[in-house]
This record gives sequence, structure tokens and C-alpha cells, in this order.
Amino acid sequence: MRNFLTAMTALSVGAMASTQAFAQEVRNPAAEWEELWNTVIIDITIIGVIMAIAAVWMLIKYRATSPDQVGTAKRLTTVQAISFALIPAAIFMADDFYLAAKGWTVWNAYRRVPENAIEIKVTAYQWYFEFEYPDGTETEELKMPIGEPVVLRMTSEDVLHNFGVPEYRVKEDVMPGRITYIWINPVEAKETIVQCAEFCGQNHSEMTTKVSAVPREEYDAWLAKIAAED
Amino acid sequence: MTTDAETATVHEHHWEWSWAPLLVVAGIFFLLPISFGFYFAYDDLLMTAIFAGLGTVLLLAGVSIWVHEGLTQTPLLAGVANVGLPIFILSEIFIFLSLFSSYWMMRLGMESWPPEGTPHISNTIPLVMTVILVSSSVTAHMAEEKLEHGDLSGFNKWWIYSIILGSVFLGLSLYEWSNLINEGFIPATNAYSSAFYTITGFHASHVLLGLGAFIAVLIPALSGRTNKTFVSCVSVYWHFVDIVWFFVASQIYFW
Amino acid sequence: MSTPTTTTGHAAVPAWKEWILTTDHKRIGILYLVGAMAAFGIAGLMALIIRLEQMELGMQFVESGTQYNGILYFHGAVMILAFLIPGLTGFAANYFLPLMIGARDVAFPRINAFSVWLFYFAIVLALLSFVVPDGPDIMWTGYPPYSVTTSANTSMYVFTVHLLGFSSILGAVNFLVTVIYLRAPGMGWNQLNMFVWTTIAAFVLQLIFIPVLASAVTLLLFDKYLGTHFFDPTEGGDVLLYQNLFWFYSHPAVYVIFLPAVGILFDIIATMSKNRIFNYKAAVYVGIWGTVGISGIVWVHHLYVSGMPDWIRLGHMVTTLLISVPVGILTLSMWGTLYKGAITYNTAMMYAASCLYLILLGGLTGIPLALPSMTLHLSETSYVHAHFHFIMALFAAFALFGGIYYWFPKMTGRYADGPIATVSFWLNFVGVNVTFWPLFIIGKEGMPRRYWDYEMFKDVQIMGFYFEDFHKVATIGAFTIALGMLLPTINFIYAAFKGKPAPDNPWNSKSLEWTHTASPPGPGNFGDTDVVLDENWSPYEYQK
Ligand code: HEA
Ligand code: HEA
Ligand code: CUA
Ligand SMILES: [Cu+2]
Repeated sequence: MRNFLTAMTALSVGAMASTQAFAQEVRNPAAEWEELWNTVIIDITIIGVIMAIAAVWMLIKYRATSPDQVGTAKRLTTVQAISFALIPAAIFMADDFYLAAKGWTVWNAYRRVPENAIEIKVTAYQWYFEFEYPDGTETEELKMPIGEPVVLRMTSEDVLHNFGVPEYRVKEDVMPGRITYIWINPVEAKETIVQCAEFCGQNHSEMTTKVSAVPREEYDAWLAKIAAED
Repeated sequence: MTTDAETATVHEHHWEWSWAPLLVVAGIFFLLPISFGFYFAYDDLLMTAIFAGLGTVLLLAGVSIWVHEGLTQTPLLAGVANVGLPIFILSEIFIFLSLFSSYWMMRLGMESWPPEGTPHISNTIPLVMTVILVSSSVTAHMAEEKLEHGDLSGFNKWWIYSIILGSVFLGLSLYEWSNLINEGFIPATNAYSSAFYTITGFHASHVLLGLGAFIAVLIPALSGRTNKTFVSCVSVYWHFVDIVWFFVASQIYFW
Repeated sequence: MSTPTTTTGHAAVPAWKEWILTTDHKRIGILYLVGAMAAFGIAGLMALIIRLEQMELGMQFVESGTQYNGILYFHGAVMILAFLIPGLTGFAANYFLPLMIGARDVAFPRINAFSVWLFYFAIVLALLSFVVPDGPDIMWTGYPPYSVTTSANTSMYVFTVHLLGFSSILGAVNFLVTVIYLRAPGMGWNQLNMFVWTTIAAFVLQLIFIPVLASAVTLLLFDKYLGTHFFDPTEGGDVLLYQNLFWFYSHPAVYVIFLPAVGILFDIIATMSKNRIFNYKAAVYVGIWGTVGISGIVWVHHLYVSGMPDWIRLGHMVTTLLISVPVGILTLSMWGTLYKGAITYNTAMMYAASCLYLILLGGLTGIPLALPSMTLHLSETSYVHAHFHFIMALFAAFALFGGIYYWFPKMTGRYADGPIATVSFWLNFVGVNVTFWPLFIIGKEGMPRRYWDYEMFKDVQIMGFYFEDFHKVATIGAFTIALGMLLPTINFIYAAFKGKPAPDNPWNSKSLEWTHTASPPGPGNFGDTDVVLDENWSPYEYQK
């Protein structure tokens, strides 16, 4: 037990040290998502293909040749029975923990907001989003300066909504009474969309607006223009 | 198979059937979903009344057939109902647990409790109610004891005491509710009123159901027909309702 | 069918009474089957409307978003609650569990009839939602605040859930007592059919978790119609409370579907390959009960994007992944049962074989979803649809269909196999792949759920194709399935009356329902002699 505890402590100290190292750089969750996707898909494809081949092989090989033929599998001894449970369980668990560790790392990228992030407030209504920029400007579309992380603090005025930006591989519910957040690292110029991804009634599938990453100057000019219009 | 059935003495094999389940379900169906919908969603009082009436009649008819059959037919396996009931009660426990955890979630998330708009809620009534409910459990147990010794009239007497005590409990609950409602404390008032009416109401509905079962046992018992398993089920259920009350009272009134 | 028997003291009873008012577990099972298939047919037609609507950009088939939502609500709720759960734990368990354990009926036959009637009235209530003004449009999840603020009649949803839930709870009580007390003398716990074990497990889940769902929807009802504030954040309630309560039930509910389906598969595979279950004890105690044990602590994987605290999401990532351990053990036993078997092919076995593929595809695609960092993008997309249609809609439904073909001779005394059965199997198998693979692909690029239109994606291309193209393929697939489902429906009805007669034990199984009863079994199941077993008996022992 003591050994176990020591090991756990060592592990968690290690984990903390490494997360601190991560906190320094600004990560790119969308890119990391893509990598993780590839890892996971390869992982499950391997499992799936092995199992599928085994199944097909047995389904073909063990066809009965006469109607009264019976199967010839031996009864397992206790040792065999226990091994056939424990060994696969250990293998599956190993894979699970491998995936969990990978998933956890990327999770940190998603949830640790860089300190210098621009903070934009999002309010969702049936059926549109409203954005409030640090300077108080309010718009109905999202623009971000390239290369500067943006954090969205989101809440809803009526029912549940979800702020989902497929291009940036991120979404999170927006709900009344709580503030949720996501952050985006717009590394390059891009024009895409945000869509509502939590069921919110009649026009749920029309609740969408533009999201774009533009150079800093354009962003400033845009904000200034809107401020002037009001 | 056909001949088997005709000669068999141990098992009489024929297709069993009964009106009771269908009638009870139809009764519940009209009484709850349909009447509720007409009343709350479509504001149609006439339809509500019609379907509630129809439902009640079907329900009563179904229950009485069911009780009759339960007393006259020999089941495949006698005496397992008192195993089934605790299993069912397990499920009931989980309902109460989820209601309580919803209450705890709300309560622990609030800065001050009780929230604004809550009038003073007396502690005396729940205490009296506790005493009454516990005594009714005792009388129910006494009745069972009498039945065990074959004393049917003693059983009837104690059983009626339990029914009276249970009704008084329910009456007090209604009295308290109506007072509070008069003071403007209704389910919609605040978080506390939501939990208060939901949990006490849910418990009261169990008391009501229990009373129904008591009466369903009593009516045939008055003319001399009883079934021990049935009686012990009703009383186990009653003890359960009693125990739950301790949780309700302690959480809702005394915490 | 055997004719009604008359015994002294029992007047002849009209046949309709002996069917409609029956308290016999086999006939109740048939009633469940008919109800579940009707529900499947209607909800399947709704699926076709959904597919037609999604086939092209813009609105073609429905008149408003609300109508689409109502249809999708019906499809999801009815498929899960009124087709698969009653089909597996109603029909299959009712008809075969007592036969498999050598019981003459269930412990409480009248309560059993009570359950089936609750189920029928629930279907009626669900169907009424198309008739009444403002039918429910809140999806099968019914999340507040929408379900509280909508003008639609949320109470119908709530009561449908109540009726079905009550039905299942009583079923659970009934079957647990039956298995405990009515096993044939001599039948030990390690001699039970896999289907019996999986059904017990499913009922334990129902017993413990349904109450939580029932209270969640009850609070919804109170919030909407009595003005309480459980889910209202302005008065101290919490919208996440509902989601937690809902998924606390509805995740285990997927195993209520999954486990009995697995049980049917085991029984088909063991019978058709004349082989013992590989590592029976591991499959039962680790596989089945491990799944049950973990199922209660993973529900937050449906709330990965709901704003739950980070540490909870990570905790549930680990527990969710760990489900692959018991399920993996179950699959290994399933695979191992084929090993050195003597496999005969027929329609039941073809469905069973295809299930091996579906369980892998559907189960393994749950693994990316189990990682919150993946789900942050995949959630609420059609990737999730593809995942659960493969594992639930297809795997479990195929297992159920396999089971119907497998047990058809027992229920009717006739075979349902034949050219129509084979053709429809292939139509189904091809159809499901054509329908749901495209949804994986566009889901990964962000195609959202519950959308009748996807205008904003009109320029997005994957491998040179637009979303619309994928949707078109999926629609073609759906119609292929429709044909593949319509044919056997006709076939079943035809075969029940005119099919090729079958002997009592056509597959030479060792399981009690085949060895000890007539086809179909009469009242009381086993004639006059009670079934008595010795300790060497096993439903899977073929080598003696
Ligand atoms: C029968 C139904 C069923 C079953 C069995 C499952 C099984 C699983 N499901 Fe699925 N799921 C649903 C029905 C089902 N699901 C439904 C209906 C929804 C959507 C609900 C809604 O929102 O409307 C859903 C949604 C859903 C989500 C939420 C997505 C979202 O909305 O954001 C997640 C996330 O973790 C998930 C994961 C899993 C996992 C990990 C399993 C596991 O149990 C799978 C385990 C199986 C295997 C892994 C394959 C076999 C194992 C091996 C070959 C061993 C080796 C494998 C490894 C080591 C990995 N499912
Ligand atoms: C058991 C569960 C189950 C089953 C079997 C199915 C079966 C099918 N589902 Fe379903 N589906 C769900 C459960 C299921 N689904 C759930 C839970 C949702 C989520 C809802 C939500 O988001 O809230 C969903 C959502 C869903 C969507 C998403 C819509 C959206 O997000 O906007 C789509 C779209 O393609 C779809 C398609 C299909 C198709 C094509 C089939 C086909 O396999 C259907 C084939 C069947 C038929 C076509 C019937 C044919 C039968 C007959 C003709 C018999 C004769 C008839 C009588 C005797 C009456 N389903
Ligand atoms: Cu807003 Cu969906
Ligand atoms: Cu789940």
C-alpha cells in the first residue's frame, strides 16, 4: 500500500511538472485534436481489424460438415479460465490508459486558457448569438485577430444552446445561469462558421453566424467602424 | 397437451386470463395522463372531469376484480409477494433519493436558506404527524399479529385503527398545505416551496396509495376473507412509507 | 396453435379473451412483440421522413422546424423506449426466460399482464402526440429549459416515460423473483442460459435507474405545469441537474438494450455452432456484471460539452474507457464460442454473424467519444448518430431479429427461413452500411445533429463531395433498410400461418426451451411432469 501511495505521489508530481511546462507555450487545440483523432482511429482500427479477421476466419473455418456434428472446444481449466479473463483485461486496460493519457493531454490544451487571451463575451438567444468585445462593442458575428488567442465567456438568456465551431474542433454548451468558456487559437486567416449544436427549438438549425480570423489591423478597423456606427 | 390438462390434478393447464390488469391500466391512463393533459395543457375542465370520472370507475373496478381473484385463485407460487415487494421498494427508495438529491443540490447551492418568500413553517404539525404515522405502523403490526393467531375480528379492529390514523395523517398534511397556500406559499413561490410540495406531496401520495391498499384488504376481510401474504405486503409497504417519513420530516422541516 | 382447453369447472372461453386478456407469459410475450414491431414500423417511417428531409438543402418534406422536431422526438423516444426495450426485455424475456429456467410461468402473471398494458397505453399516448395540438417537440432527451418554456405538450412525454418506466420496474420485480424462486429443481446459477443472465442484469439496471429518470421527468412536469423551480437558475434551480438525472438513467439504459441483445447472440451462436460458451464464468461475472457495475458511473460522458467541472469530465473519461474491459471480455467469449464449433448457417446465424461486425464497429466508435477532448468536437454531430445507430439501432435490432428467426419455430411451430428471409437480410446488411457510414464521415467534419437543414455547410467538401451528396447516399441506404424490414414483416405473418412446419427442436439445441417443450408450448409449458435437472446438465453441453 505504501509503495502504491509513493508511486501515485511521484506520478502526480510528474504530471504537475509537465503541465506547468505546457502552460508556457500557446497550444493549438484544433491541430492537436486532429493528431489525437488519428491516434485513436489507428488504435481502434487495429483492434477492430484483428477481431474482425478472427471472426471471419472462424466463421468460415468451423462450418459444420454434417448435420449432427458438434463443437469440439475443450472445457477450460480454472487456470486457463482465469488467465483468459485477466490477460485480456490487462491488455484492454493498458490500451484504455494509453488513450486516457493522450486524451488528457489534449484536454489540457482545450481547457487551459492562455493568460493573454482576448476575452469576448457571448450571449445566446433563440436563435442568434451576440458578441461583446473588450471595448464594449456588440456584434452578431465573431472576428478574431490572427495569432492572438481568444477566450469566449458564454451564457444564454433563454434555453440551452451550444457554441460549436467545427473548423476549430471545439464546442461547449451555453446555458442560462452559468458561464462556460472555450478558447480558440486562430493561427491563420480563415473564414468559417459557428453553429448552434444543442437543441433549442424551431430554428435550431438556422442558428449560425460567421467566424473569421483576420489580421490585427483589419480587426481593429472593423471594431472601430462598428463603434462609430452605433 | 389438451389431454394433460383434463387429467391433471396437480397443475391445471389452461390459458389463464383476467380483466383486472387491463382495467387498472386503463383507469390509470385516463386518470393521470389524459386528465392531466386536458386540465393543464388544454384547459378543458369538462373533458378533465369526464376522463377523471371514467378513470376512477375503471380503476376501482379493476382493483376489486384483482383483489377478488387474488383471494379466490391459487397462484403458481404462493407467498412470494413479500419477496417481490421489497424489490419494488428498492426502486421506490431510488425515487426518493433522487428527489432528495435534487433538493440538496438546490439548497446547498443557495447562499441563504430558506429563500425569500418562505413563511414560518410550524414544527409542531410534523411532530404530531410523526407520532401518528408511527402509531399507525404499530397498529398495522398488531393487526398482523392478530391475523397470525387466527383472530379475524381483532385483525379488523386494529386494521381499522391504522386506516383512521393514516387518514388523520393525510388530513393534517392537507390542513398544513391549505394553510400555507392561504399564506401565499405555493409550489411556484421559490426553491424551498418547490422541494417542499414535491417531496411532501410525493410522500402523501404514497400514504394515499397505502390507504387504498388497506381498504382493499379490509372490505373482503369484513366478510371473512383474507390472504396473509397480501396483508403482510400492505403492512411492509406501510412501514416503508413510515420510515421514509422520518427522512422527509428531518430534511424538509428540521434541517 | 393449440386450441383452448376446457377443464371441468372452466367454461369454454372465447379465443380473443384468452389472447387479449391473457396472463400467460408466452402470450404476453407475443403481445409485446406485436406492439414493439408496430412501434418500430411507425418510428421507422418517421426515420424515412427525416432522411428525405435531410437529403437536400432547404426544407422539402416537413412544413416547419417544429414539425421536424416532433418527428425526430417520436423517432428517438419510440425506437428506444417502445421498440428495443420492450422488444428485448418484454418480448424475448417474457417468452423465453421462463422456458429457459423450466418455470411454468412468471411469479406474478397478473402483474405481467399489467406491464404489457402499460406498454400498450404508452404507445397510444406517444401516437397521440401526432393528433393533439402542440405535440411534444423536445427530443427524447427533453432538456429544460426548452422543454419547460416550449408551448408544446411536454406532459405527454413525461407520462409516456412514466408508463413505460412503471411497466419496466414491475417487469424487473417479476422476473427477478421468477429467476430466484422458479428455476427448475437442480438448476444452479452457473447453469443458466446467457440470455437469462443478461436479462437479469438488464432488469437490475431497470430497477435501480428508472426511478431516477422517473423523478427527473416528474420534476420537469412540475416545473412546467406547477411553476416549481428545480431547473430554473433564476430561483436557485439548475439546468444541469436534469441532465445529470436523465443520463444517470439513460446511460445504463443503453446496457438494458445491449446486454439482452448480447444474450440472444450467445444463445444463437452456441446453438448454431453446437459449442459451449467460451469462459462462461468470466463472461457472466466479469463481462455482464462488470458492465452493470461500471454503467452507473459513466453518465457524464453525455455531458462532456455541457459545462460540467473539468475533473468530473476527466474522471468519467477513465470510467467510460474502462467499460471496454467487461465488454471486451464478453466479446472474447462470443468469439471463443465459435472456436472449434460446428457452425450451421441459417437466417438466425446470419444475423448473429453480422452482429459481430456491428458490435465492433458500434462499440469501437464509442471509444473516441469517450475522450472528452475528442468529444469537444464530435459531440452533437452525426458521428454520434452513426455510433449509436450501429451499436443500438443496428446491433441490438439485428440481434433481436436474429432471435425472432431463431425462436420462430418455437413460437409458431413453423420456420421463417427461406429466400425472402435471406434476401431481406442482405438488403438490411447492405442498407445499414450505406445509411450510416456517410454519417460518420460528415459527422467528423461537423454535421450537427437535429438539423433539418445544413445551409451553412453548403460549400464544405470532403474528398470532393458535398455534405448533400453524403446525405443522399444515406437516404438511399435508409430506403434499402425499409425494404429489408418490410419484407420480413410480411414473411413473419405469412410464415406464422403457412410456413414450413418445424419439429419441436429444429436446431438440435440443448437448451430447455427446445428440449422440454412442444412448439408452441401449451399452457403450463411443460405438460405434467416438472422439469428436474442434475448438476451435469447445461444448456450448452453438446459433447456428451
Ligand atoms: C445500445 C446502446 C449503446 C451502447 C452499447 C453504447 C456503448 C458505448 N457508448 Fe454510446 N451512445 C448510445 C448508445 C450506446 N452506446 C446512444 C443512444 C448515444 C446518444 C444519446 C443521445 O445523445 O441521444 C450514445 C452516445 C455516446 C457518447 C456521448 C456522445 C455525445 O453525445 O457527446 C459516448 C461518449 O463517451 C458514448 C460512448 C460509448 C462507449 C465507450 C460505449 C462502450 O460500451 C462500447 C464498448 C465496446 C467496445 C469497446 C467494443 C468491443 C470491445 C473490444 C473489442 C475490446 C477491446 C477494446 C478496447 C481496449 C478499446 N456513447
Ligand atoms: C433503436 C433505436 C433506433 C433505430 C432502430 C433507428 C433506426 C433508424 N434511424 Fe434513428 N435515431 C435513434 C434511434 C434509432 N434509430 C435515436 C435515439 C435518435 C436521436 C434522436 C434525437 O436526436 O433526439 C435517432 C436519430 C436519427 C437521425 C438523426 C436526425 C437528426 O439528427 O436530425 C437519423 C437521420 O438519418 C436517423 C435515421 C434512422 C434510420 C434511417 C433508421 C432505419 O434503420 C429505420 C429502418 C426502419 C424502417 C424504415 C421501418 C420499416 C418497417 C416496416 C415498414 C414494417 C411495417 C410497418 C408496420 C407493420 C407498421 N435516426
Ligand atoms: Cu440554439 Cu440550437
Ligand atoms: Cu452513454
